[in-house]
Amino acid sequence: MVAAVLLLAGFAGGFAMARMVVRLDQVVRERFEGRLFRVPSRVLSAPIILYPGLDWQQVDLKGTLQRLGYRDSPNAKGLALGRYAWQGAELWIHRRAFEHPTRAEPARVLRLRLAGNLIEELRDADTGRELGAAFLEPELVGAYYGPDHEQRELVRLGDVPPHLVDAILAVEDQRFLSHRGVDLRRIAGALLANLRARGIREGGSTLTQQLVKNFFLTPERSLQRKLQEAVMALVVEARYEKDAILEAYLNEIYLGQRGSTAIHGVGEAAHFFFGKSVRDLALPESALIAAIIKSPNGLSPHSDPERARKRRDLVLELMLQQHRIDDAAFAEAQAEPVRVAQLTLEPRDARYFLDALQRQLPEFYGTATLTTEGLLIYSTLDLRLQRAAARALSEELTRLEKAYPKLAPKGESRLEGCLIALRPQTGEVLALVGGRDYAKSQFDRCTQARRPAGSVFKPFVYAAALEPSGGGPVVTLAAWLDDAPLEVPTPAGLWRPKNFDRENHGSVPLREALEHSYNVATARLGQQVGIPRVAEMARRLGIESPLPSVPSLAIGAADITPLELARAYATLANGGIRPQIRTFEDVVDPNAGRLERQPIDFERVLDGGTAYLVTSLLEGVVDRGTASSLRAQGLVGPIAGKTGTSNEERDAWFVGYTPEIVAVVWVGFDEPRSLGLAASAIALPIWGRFLRDATGGTVRGAFLRPPDVAEIEIDPTSGAVALAGCPARRAEYFLPGTEPTTTCPGWAEPWRADDPGKPNLMERMFDAWLERL
Amino acid sequence: MARATLRRRIRSFSPWIFAALFVASCQLPTAPPLPGEPLRLSRVAGDGDAARRASMRIVLSALDADSAGRSAEASSLYERSLQVDPTNPYAWLAMARQEVFEGDPDRGLTHLDKAEALLGSDEGAAAHLAGIRGAGLRAVGQGALGEPFLREASERAPGLWADGTLDAAELR
Repeated sequence: MVAAVLLLAGFAGGFAMARMVVRLDQVVRERFEGRLFRVPSRVLSAPIILYPGLDWQQVDLKGTLQRLGYRDSPNAKGLALGRYAWQGAELWIHRRAFEHPTRAEPARVLRLRLAGNLIEELRDADTGRELGAAFLEPELVGAYYGPDHEQRELVRLGDVPPHLVDAILAVEDQRFLSHRGVDLRRIAGALLANLRARGIREGGSTLTQQLVKNFFLTPERSLQRKLQEAVMALVVEARYEKDAILEAYLNEIYLGQRGSTAIHGVGEAAHFFFGKSVRDLALPESALIAAIIKSPNGLSPHSDPERARKRRDLVLELMLQQHRIDDAAFAEAQAEPVRVAQLTLEPRDARYFLDALQRQLPEFYGTATLTTEGLLIYSTLDLRLQRAAARALSEELTRLEKAYPKLAPKGESRLEGCLIALRPQTGEVLALVGGRDYAKSQFDRCTQARRPAGSVFKPFVYAAALEPSGGGPVVTLAAWLDDAPLEVPTPAGLWRPKNFDRENHGSVPLREALEHSYNVATARLGQQVGIPRVAEMARRLGIESPLPSVPSLAIGAADITPLELARAYATLANGGIRPQIRTFEDVVDPNAGRLERQPIDFERVLDGGTAYLVTSLLEGVVDRGTASSLRAQGLVGPIAGKTGTSNEERDAWFVGYTPEIVAVVWVGFDEPRSLGLAASAIALPIWGRFLRDATGGTVRGAFLRPPDVAEIEIDPTSGAVALAGCPARRAEYFLPGTEPTTTCPGWAEPWRADDPGKPNLMERMFDAWLERL
Repeated sequence: MARATLRRRIRSFSPWIFAALFVASCQLPTAPPLPGEPLRLSRVAGDGDAARRASMRIVLSALDADSAGRSAEASSLYERSLQVDPTNPYAWLAMARQEVFEGDPDRGLTHLDKAEALLGSDEGAAAHLAGIRGAGLRAVGQGALGEPFLREASERAPGLWADGTLDAAELR
């Protein structure tokens, strides 16, 4: 009877055990045969390009190298990969290989001869060949993390150096290759050690058990969980090869923290600690990674290098004892100091850009794909400009709050702003800061907020008026506008636009009307051109938001986003060619190659001559008008731009461009209230600060005048051609067929109509020529 | 008063002075005739400021990649050259050539538009501008519009454009 009960109990126990094993086996298979790891997709910046003549200090070359994980070396001779060294006036960089399916770059030692701030010469140090340009690998902009916020770079076992595997096995599981998932000898040893120490000092887990614990179980310490762990480890070992288990372990193991991001796997750790690929790790570096597995944060070489070194040396000793390395390798590795790459956090302010990029990706790349597939997205972001933009916005807004009590925070309401910069020729987003603090508000004011445009809309009116259409343009740059009081009947009653200074200025030159942003003169011009034509021009240039068909549209009664405004001004800067906004170049699957490409695309929407005339007007705004304080900030070179202040001063804008960059700054409150100041006091200093940091203060290039645009000396008062004898003159630009055909009235004064000595046209031209000599 | 009289006297001779200046200008040495001197990008690679020169070196590398059939690499390099100098007309010209003959001809024509705007009146580039436009128009099904451009290219640079195409190596 007892035997029968025992048999039954044994049978029942065996059955329960078998059921558990089957269930656990299913769990293990589901995980191992499905997607083992979620790998966040990474977004990389545009690469840094070095070339002779580049100001290496202005582009922060040293900081870039450090952020890329390059380490300073005392000697240029035999410079190791990922290191740089200063040698007199030379900088040597052993640049790492850059892996990209279409533009792979091999590792190379670069020799830069420096003269002051400039790179004077650039050579390949191995061949001595002079180089016209060289690329550094792109920087990490950020990644699309899943809820666990883990970052890892998957590696194949074949890519991991044997000394790293040896170091890990030496310290974590020396009998890994011989046990079946559970190491009884090790458990007994750990038990003994813990008994002696009267506490838990040593664990007896094998790599397989650690893997199982991380994959399937909670960190809870209980006998039941330990039993489960052991059974699952046996199942894993029974089902899978040692190599597969080891590879999974190497990719899973937690190795530290970068801010809120957990570093998992040796591939990611190699970049995090040493700024290099796992393939390139040296023995002491491998030993250090193995050393910190026990307590990644407590033993982190970033926080306690000495403690990390001691533990690394222990790993090296174990490797020596277990005959994994010889005496010479041990001595050499132990003599090596602990040197790690600078700890760099992901730029937080680039999160707005990551969101904008995700919105621009095709639908296929949803959050699920981006957080798991480990894609590499090569973006257009220039991290140097991004940092400059974030700094300018943050520091200037803080300064404004201090300088103007009205702008100080009131409860939750805080002064906000955004800055977006594009390359006009390609539409590439170079910098995007959508607000002051992404952690507090993820709402991107540059791409998602539609705000009243105010005067930044006015150039579209002038573009529409200057563009030849039907019988020619409505005005030329030599025209005068009427700034006398205006009344326009509308369905809502009479509309009476007012100037910012509440004054009327009578008849004013067209240039002055825009330079000083006169509302009344511009509203009247809008009436002359026709509101539908103004709206059509804005659309052509790149405005996509709904535009109300009302007279006040001419002075900016339309809600638009800074992004579309940037695009419209980029079209002007680009000679009338409207670029497509571009946030990335390509999307690459490290295993499958390039998946997606975003080509440079644009369309001509305005003739180059008209675009040039508007640019010339906007240069006047910076040189003489509402944005002239930019010049006082020390900015030199071709700059065009326009300030904008919306009704009741709720929004302050500045949009400006150089031949190579267009940037929009918006400042206001999320819940609109009056700023009490004009844009020139609020948005303009931010823009100026950004451009100064971006360019060093001197803007490169020139706005090219199309060959068919004529430059003619005119009499400013009459707009007629200024010949000899005219009292005043200035140069003005004209599209073909719009040149003035009369001469200034003052010219004829010295002669009576019947005067036989009155010069003819050729003589007058000769006179003008003679005067210019 | 005397000055005004003098001026009036000089002015009365102005037609003759203008005519003399015109005749003199005709005697000045002028550039050699255009055919036989089409633009080669390697010849202008040393011109301009540091950014332009660096951009041109990258364009030449791109043309090499293009010649070797590595067209995706060439595209990437053209974009890099624009990163250094977005106003480099030769980069846009080379990209236009690549798009028209090996990629998207519509896009090639817009790139060519950009190149043309930046080149202004560069006589050396005139053959390529005309030829690429002609080939582009032909590729987008507007052969009749393209033929005069191809003819012009062939007349300006018969050695390069007689066959109606332009290789990357020929532009280099």
